[in-house]
Amino acid sequence: MTRSFGWLAAIALAVGLVMAFGVAPREATQGNVQRIMYLHVPSVWVAYLAFVVVAAASFVYLVTRSAGADRLAAASAEAGVIFTGITIASGSIWGKPTWGTWWTWDARLTSVAILFVMYLGYLLLRAMIEDHERASRYAAVLGIVAALDIPLVHFSVLWWRTLHQPPSLIKPGAPTMPAAILVALLVNFAAFTLLYAYFVSKRVALLRREAEALA
Amino acid sequence: MPDHWGYVVAAYGLAAVALAAYWRRLLRRDRELTTLRTRRPVTPRSQAAPLSAHPRPEPTPRPPLQ
Repeated sequence: MTRSFGWLAAIALAVGLVMAFGVAPREATQGNVQRIMYLHVPSVWVAYLAFVVVAAASFVYLVTRSAGADRLAAASAEAGVIFTGITIASGSIWGKPTWGTWWTWDARLTSVAILFVMYLGYLLLRAMIEDHERASRYAAVLGIVAALDIPLVHFSVLWWRTLHQPPSLIKPGAPTMPAAILVALLVNFAAFTLLYAYFVSKRVALLRREAEALA
Repeated sequence: MPDHWGYVVAAYGLAAVALAAYWRRLLRRDRELTTLRTRRPVTPRSQAAPLSAHPRPEPTPRPPLQ
């Protein structure tokens, strides 16, 4: 299963790159720098997905004390932090030529930064507490609480005046972007989701083996 | 507006480095666990050494305070 996810992700990422650089047209206003969108938007989608999985698995862990749910939460949090980091870095690089600044403390950027720091804290909490059961329990609570920031991140561009543009895909109503751009974006969504699935299944298997080795 | 290809390359390059580094970390951990498994075969609980065979001495009770 893990190997299949890996191969599918590799193929989908290659197709995604071809779509982003070969098929999608040059954007009229921003020029080719807009092609960062095919990296930035799928990354944040996977980050949302990862943290929703953390919250769901954490809830299941608190109810059932299932070691599998705990491992899923830990693995998904790691992947989520990686993809949030990529979102912040790619957004900052995209912001410099289009906004004229690497960073600004507007609602979207600040709420994403808070999300990133909270899940870094989640991983630190897991690593710091030696009692495994206690670490899992505290991390599960933090994993659920931190997920409350996701709607704040997503709707911040609608609730406050921000430099960041409003959502163009995950919003009420049909997408308004041209079909070629939309298809390229959706292919990259699929590619990043497969990559996330590969990372999480691999990490869950490793965490299970680590637990067996320590038993 | 100019194309700013340098920024595009930087964004994709940075993402590729981050993802590749995490992937390599997972593979390295996989290899470490495989090595550990080949060095120390997993013993079933029933065949494991009894707890009394632990080399650490049993704790002695502290004398009551006078």
